[in-house]
Amino acid sequence: MKQATYIVNGKKYNVLVEPHEMLSDVIRYKIGLTGTKEGCSQGSCGACTIIANNEPVLSCITPALRFDGAQILTIEGVATVDGLHGLQQKFLDKGAVQCGFCTPGMVMTAIDFLKHNPKPTTDEIKLALSGNLCRCTGYKKVIEAVAEYAMESNGLYPGGVHKAPAREEGLRAVGVRRPLIEAVKKVQGIAEYADDIAVKDALHVKFLRSTHAHAKIDHIDTSEAMALEGVRYVALGHEIPVTFGVLPISQDENAIAIEKVRYIGEIVAAVAADSESIAAEACKLIKVKYTPLREFLTIDDSLAEVMPEEKIHNEGKFNNNIHKKAELRFGDQKQGLKDADVVSTMSFGFEGINHGFMEPHAATAWWDENGLTMVSATQVTHYLHRALAKTMEVPLSRVRVIKPYIGGGFGGKGDPFPHEIIVAHIARKVRKPVRVVLTREEVFITNHGRHPSRMTISLGASNDGILQVLDADINIDGGAYGSFGVVTSYYNGVLLQAPYKLNNFGFRTLRVYSNKPQCGAMRGHGAVNSRFAVESLIDDIAHRINMDPVDLRMKNFLDSNSLTVGQYRITSNGSRESIQVVAKQSDWYERHGKMEYGHGLGVGCGFFISGSALPIIWNELPQSTVHLKVDFDGRVLVTSGANDIGQGSDTMLAIMVSEVLGIGMDKIFVIGADTLLTPVDLGSYSSRVTFMAGNAAKNAAENLKLEIANAIAAKKGVAAEELNFTDDTVFTNDKSLVLSWLEAIEILTAHRGAVSVSGKYISPKLGGDFKGAGAGLSPSYSFGACVAEVTVNTSTGHVKVNNIWGAHDCGKALNPMTVEGQLEGSWHMGMGQAMSEEMKYYNGLLVNNNFIDYKIPTALDTPPIHTNYIETIDPEGPFGAKECGEGAIHPVIPAISNAIFDAVGIRITKLPIRSEDVLELIKQKKSQHQPLTITV
Amino acid sequence: MTSERLYTKPTSVQEALQTAREYKNDFAFIAGGTDALVNKYQGNVDYNCMIDITGLHELKQVSVSGNDLSIGALVRLDDLGKFGMITDRFPALVQAAGEVASPMLRKSATLGGNVLCENRCSYYNQSEFWREAVGYCLKCEGDICIATGGKKACFSKFVSDTAPVLIAANARLEVHDTDGVRIIPLEAIYTGDGIKPRNLSPTSLVTRIVLPLTTEYQIIFRKLRPREAVDFTSLTTAVSLDKAGLVRIVVGGVDPKPVVIDGKKGEDKDALVKKALSKCRVVDNDYYSRNYRRDMMQLFLKESLDQMW
Repeated sequence: MKQATYIVNGKKYNVLVEPHEMLSDVIRYKIGLTGTKEGCSQGSCGACTIIANNEPVLSCITPALRFDGAQILTIEGVATVDGLHGLQQKFLDKGAVQCGFCTPGMVMTAIDFLKHNPKPTTDEIKLALSGNLCRCTGYKKVIEAVAEYAMESNGLYPGGVHKAPAREEGLRAVGVRRPLIEAVKKVQGIAEYADDIAVKDALHVKFLRSTHAHAKIDHIDTSEAMALEGVRYVALGHEIPVTFGVLPISQDENAIAIEKVRYIGEIVAAVAADSESIAAEACKLIKVKYTPLREFLTIDDSLAEVMPEEKIHNEGKFNNNIHKKAELRFGDQKQGLKDADVVSTMSFGFEGINHGFMEPHAATAWWDENGLTMVSATQVTHYLHRALAKTMEVPLSRVRVIKPYIGGGFGGKGDPFPHEIIVAHIARKVRKPVRVVLTREEVFITNHGRHPSRMTISLGASNDGILQVLDADINIDGGAYGSFGVVTSYYNGVLLQAPYKLNNFGFRTLRVYSNKPQCGAMRGHGAVNSRFAVESLIDDIAHRINMDPVDLRMKNFLDSNSLTVGQYRITSNGSRESIQVVAKQSDWYERHGKMEYGHGLGVGCGFFISGSALPIIWNELPQSTVHLKVDFDGRVLVTSGANDIGQGSDTMLAIMVSEVLGIGMDKIFVIGADTLLTPVDLGSYSSRVTFMAGNAAKNAAENLKLEIANAIAAKKGVAAEELNFTDDTVFTNDKSLVLSWLEAIEILTAHRGAVSVSGKYISPKLGGDFKGAGAGLSPSYSFGACVAEVTVNTSTGHVKVNNIWGAHDCGKALNPMTVEGQLEGSWHMGMGQAMSEEMKYYNGLLVNNNFIDYKIPTALDTPPIHTNYIETIDPEGPFGAKECGEGAIHPVIPAISNAIFDAVGIRITKLPIRSEDVLELIKQKKSQHQPLTITV
Repeated sequence: MTSERLYTKPTSVQEALQTAREYKNDFAFIAGGTDALVNKYQGNVDYNCMIDITGLHELKQVSVSGNDLSIGALVRLDDLGKFGMITDRFPALVQAAGEVASPMLRKSATLGGNVLCENRCSYYNQSEFWREAVGYCLKCEGDICIATGGKKACFSKFVSDTAPVLIAANARLEVHDTDGVRIIPLEAIYTGDGIKPRNLSPTSLVTRIVLPLTTEYQIIFRKLRPREAVDFTSLTTAVSLDKAGLVRIVVGGVDPKPVVIDGKKGEDKDALVKKALSKCRVVDNDYYSRNYRRDMMQLFLKESLDQMW
């Protein structure tokens, strides 16, 4: 240890530093300024950027002692007593802050950049930010924030900025562009994420992970590890015998492997020690003897018949490694395909995709007189609550799960995880708080991402472009455990029954177990790959019958207020508006099919649920309950179990309450996702929060409004129904009585005290009564369309996406800025899957387990994104709103590949789109001299 | 726990070399650290003594002496473009430096560090746990090359983007060692052995990169990578032509060392390209396949040569 001095944000710190310690660790854990984030520890994500002696550095790969004595500026020092830095304010105003985890690094990078280049072009800004990864925003609003700040600093005022929208339908809070309520905290680096929360005297946990894909554990020797100074506990699998899993039907995982391991990276032992480095050192001293078992690494491996003892999981009725068969059929597909004028059949292959959220998993657990408390980066506190009670074998009443700020999830923080259960277990054993933060490699191995898939799909249509029949045969590779996989299996198929009318529709999905990290839910859950396939087939059919792909789609869209063949109730439906707006903006009819060779436009559409109508764990609780409390001070406390993971759901709840009660956002305070304080909400998955928690909040606010109105009516002798709630006042129609909000609350609370009310959302009864009818049921659905423009370099095969025009039917944009941000992030993530992302395995080992090799598009790789939201005012959504986070990812991927077809006439059937495949297909096409149109 | 760790930040080359001698096989020189410290984090290397050379201000200068342009080894990639002499005479070097990693990394990474960048391979640049699971490759004391499915040689990729340009311009290195100072052609330090890709002794310190000003070069630089930032190279080509009509082709990212082919203006281009191709030992250890990188190498070189005559 060496004593070092740092002057951080003007304050002097003397700290003891390990000789090889990195600066980020000193700043975060020794100085306690946790605004500096660590997303990768390898200098490849930019979240740790700070300024030392006037030079920006990536503090996670900078030796701390290099800057002994230095002046350091961290994000916490950017704002001054005069307020936020202008750039921070711009990040707020432009909606550049979502989860906020990359924000400190972005702000620091941009501040340094503008110092040297105060009048940058957009391209220069993109270049400057190209080492800062963001998974939420698609960079668009970040770039806009930097550009606009620079312009204003130069005395220029940008034109064409968003005008304040006219207040519609008398709405006051809904429809207003506003930053997230916590954005001020995030942009200053003071919002606390799971690993930022210091708990006194906590031990640190590290894991020993399996080096075998499938093996029997013969023996584990922990004696040397236990003997290491500073080691407090070594946990093994048998100590936590109760299995868990997010679905009640897939309780197939142990927190620590017992008897056998099923993938490389599965946790075999856990060490708790005084420091992370001691725990890591101790893990190396644990000796495990394995007997390798037959490995199943591909879908074909897993479909093969095997001996019972060879199976990955002994349970299950098949004599192979199939986990789930999901099949539904409406009509006779065989006959339908025979009868169709034109049939397109293609096979597709998709690699696995990781969520790539910027904040690694982290959790801290402790036990006290109240039982277990856990702070964890989770999307679904409620299911974690249940999983912890189950595995710890304590009543539900003895578990409290607290969600801090979350650095993105996208489905990847939706399951209960082994590391959470393990720290809870060890904390009970050692009677001390225990914490863990995963490395980026561990995050990748933990996975639960999009399933690698392959599928063969046939689509039949009439010569006049009416889709008649769809048959899908789908295999998905689930990895070692179940996770959400049963749902994924269904979603791959069922979500193809819209947005087009299809009366003859069937699918079969087989989900297999394999000896790889497990797959689960990821943005656009289950339907992203099969949607890609279907939109490609539609494009092919349009081409073959010589019909414009936009026109063909227009002919086939389901109507509003209709039923799909599988009895989904379609209410609002903005498909037509969506495709028309992107066609118009992209000059579709003037350009599609008419651009010079190598340039093309493509279109795709999408469809997604807006909240699963059925809970995962069957019970009669409402899907969401929201509580409001108002006391003498007039502030309304909103408590909800919904998990804000950066998508803005806390703000959405406040908007609901503000709108109904006619009070300003400053009078509303939201506590989200603390299972002790907040009523149950099923959490952030299936795009359910706006619709369900939003409706519950609206319902709660209406209940509170009624209470207030009744109290005033009784006291003042007016009719309750004549009272209006607007602009922080309550008044009668004739204004004979006008009360300030506080006066109204005084009347409400007189002789009664603080008032609490509850609101709820329960989905209506939906769907058919056949087996499997529940899959994909939702009280409402979202729709959308994208057009992409590409240039294909015909000598390298390189594809450049030049523009993305997107439109998404979100029902009603409760906060347009947030809606745009969600859409842009979704389209960007889709572009990543299309262009460069894949989970690449070698003998069951994930090869690209870091942000250098797992290729999330940078700001430079991101084309201009043209954002449109379509408002169809859903009859059951809160103020007409429905989802906007997930559905948007569906259309963008096929839009890109269809654009490649338009550019060079080749059909992409494998993702990601690799330059070499494109080149090969171009060559093949040239050599075969294929006619442009193939007739059947 | 590990034995005593040490960090030291010498202020002179002599002090740095002295410390290196004391810690012989248990130290590393750290400049920007953008490559070296990631490898240390991953456990590819470990050492107790970290000699941080960023305090050697004498190595941050760019100067002209006689017929040479001398660039200090610690000049950061981001700073190369700030020197008129470099932008005027060697714009391709600035271009190459500008395509290394990301802007922020280029503000720490140095030119010396980039030419000494450790070779990379999908099966080597991994954590200790990962390499144990895969069964350790040749480059980390294993028995076989995993990338090639069992060959007894290591084909880790040479990934410096600046070195091909420097070699194309006949750059030399000034190297300090216990036995004094040497000036050697840059290309001479690369062994072609993926396990030990450079022949410099561990205690030697590269202090300057020296470029000849006597000749004027036209240099065409190209880089293949999946994304427009962050990525290490999948293929780097630099082709130079001087006033005398001498052509030099340098290819990185496709062999454990930079592949160098000399020729003359007017020679059969396809033959030159073929010659380069035959010297590159490309294996599947990259985002792009072996075949694609071979194809692109031919394309890049052909297109570069076509721009020259």
